Amino acid sequence: MREETKVVVRRVVFLVVALGITLAFMFPLVWVVLASLKTRLEIFVLPPKWIFLPTLQNYRDIFHSDFMYQLRNSLLVAAISTGVSLVFGSLTAYGFSRYPIRGSDNILFWILSLRMLPPIAVVIPFYLLFRSLGLLDTTLALVLVYCIFNISFSIWVLKGFFDEIPIELEEAAKLDGYSPAQVFFRVSLPLVRPGLATTAIFCLIQSLNEFLVALTLTTRKAVTAPVGLAKLQTFLGTDWGRISAAAVIFMIPVVVFTVFVRNELIRGMSFGRMR
Amino acid sequence: MVEHIDVLVRRRRREERRFQLLLFLPTIVFLVLMVLFPLVYSVRISFYDYVRGREPRFIGFGNYAQLFRSEQFWLVTWVTLRITLTCLAIEMGLGLLLGFALSQKVPGMGVLRVLIFLPMMLAPLVAGLFWRLLLDQTFGLVNFFLERLGFQAVEWLTDPRFAIWGIIITDVWQWTPFVVLLVLAGLGTIPQELQEAATLDRASPWMRFRNIYLPYLRMPILLAVLFRSIDTLKMFDVPYILTGGGPGDLTTTLSLLGYRNLFSFFKVGVASAISWFVVIIVNVLVNILLKILSPRRKIPQEMVDTGL
Repeated sequence: MREETKVVVRRVVFLVVALGITLAFMFPLVWVVLASLKTRLEIFVLPPKWIFLPTLQNYRDIFHSDFMYQLRNSLLVAAISTGVSLVFGSLTAYGFSRYPIRGSDNILFWILSLRMLPPIAVVIPFYLLFRSLGLLDTTLALVLVYCIFNISFSIWVLKGFFDEIPIELEEAAKLDGYSPAQVFFRVSLPLVRPGLATTAIFCLIQSLNEFLVALTLTTRKAVTAPVGLAKLQTFLGTDWGRISAAAVIFMIPVVVFTVFVRNELIRGMSFGRMR
Repeated sequence: MVEHIDVLVRRRRREERRFQLLLFLPTIVFLVLMVLFPLVYSVRISFYDYVRGREPRFIGFGNYAQLFRSEQFWLVTWVTLRITLTCLAIEMGLGLLLGFALSQKVPGMGVLRVLIFLPMMLAPLVAGLFWRLLLDQTFGLVNFFLERLGFQAVEWLTDPRFAIWGIIITDVWQWTPFVVLLVLAGLGTIPQELQEAATLDRASPWMRFRNIYLPYLRMPILLAVLFRSIDTLKMFDVPYILTGGGPGDLTTTLSLLGYRNLFSFFKVGVASAISWFVVIIVNVLVNILLKILSPRRKIPQEMVDTGL
């Protein structure tokens, strides 16, 4: 009996500690959401107002600003580069998984290291190149650069998923007279559908969040949401209500995506697999 | 009949080879074109006196020599290293602690775990914006609480002593959850029997940490160090939005300095040289850490086996 109460007490203590930690980390998020619902004056009031009549004026202002267009740009660039990367990535990941050639470990390592490439090093040559090609400030330019990072990421993550497919399934399909390409498209690819979804979501998040490349390669037409946010901050200065509203709108897709991939965070955020 | 099979086998092989070409060729062509060409090009630029609007002129290591002689460059390198090391120390310490706290199996923990991982999924730029609001010297909440607790308000973003801490706080807030994630995964791989045995043997907490947890946490810790140090060495977004690199250059990172040389001073050659300096530092670091992770230069098998 006493042992049991001890266990319960310990659990409650741990839960309270965990709750405290989580709340501490959530606090800035909550604060920004609150700020987005306040009037200009309420934001500057100290001690801070926790209970107030929320206003949607900030959201209304943002809905009628360039920011929505920039958000559209962001989603477009992210979607296209993710799609392209999944095609390239799944083909090559399957290749590395099924036909390990000599030195493929080194090639994989090289591909992996592309993800660690400092964006500043990538962006300078591309800035010059795209300027001479007249591609600056286009969606295409951003898609091309994001594909470098997304393809290398896709290959890495998808290889893990392909490795997990039992080889017997493919052998059986081959005995049934499937060609190698048919085995891939009809047997293996459908089996890694969850892997494709996970990979896609991480590619989308990473592309949505990217800042330096977008800042460098765009000026007006192709500006993405993070660059738009930075510009808002410069132009609006202390109009934090509107800035917060824009940040909240921008965060929504990322938060939704995160909930979807909550069990695959390790795979996505580092280069590993999880059992 | 025998001939027939032979033909079939040969056709199979031809199909297989053609398929392999499809698997590898598009990606290899794309990556080589998109990576090697620009990188080679930017190495070349770094050897030219290339100011936008003027004809480039070959100067060998001139840009590098100019950088290495400039006090600003070394200051910025120091700032970058200081941010990296400080963030690393705090994030690892805090991450381990929180990881242990969150590893308990308690109902409701699943929800908390999703919530605590949210910061690292946000754009670093957005994190920077958040903290710009929170650290504002007149109406920011951080100063409000400091004053409530009897401390003096701090000019977080403009005071030479504290500006760097604004950057560090933002990074710690955003990326400690990442360390927690890896620690949790590491703790999850410890066999239940091992922990029970330790309880039965009445092992001291230190013994338990040293002999049970540490071996299983080695890989997550090294991975966390690897990823966090690479990311902080390349840091750009947070100082850009939070302090703009100021006051002076006290929060300017190498990436920010490179960006400024490109866009404010139009010195393309110098910017390339700086960016290559970053590439080299990151590479050296990755190689050292991967040497520790796995003696052979390949993806460590252990990482695959332990589930990390």
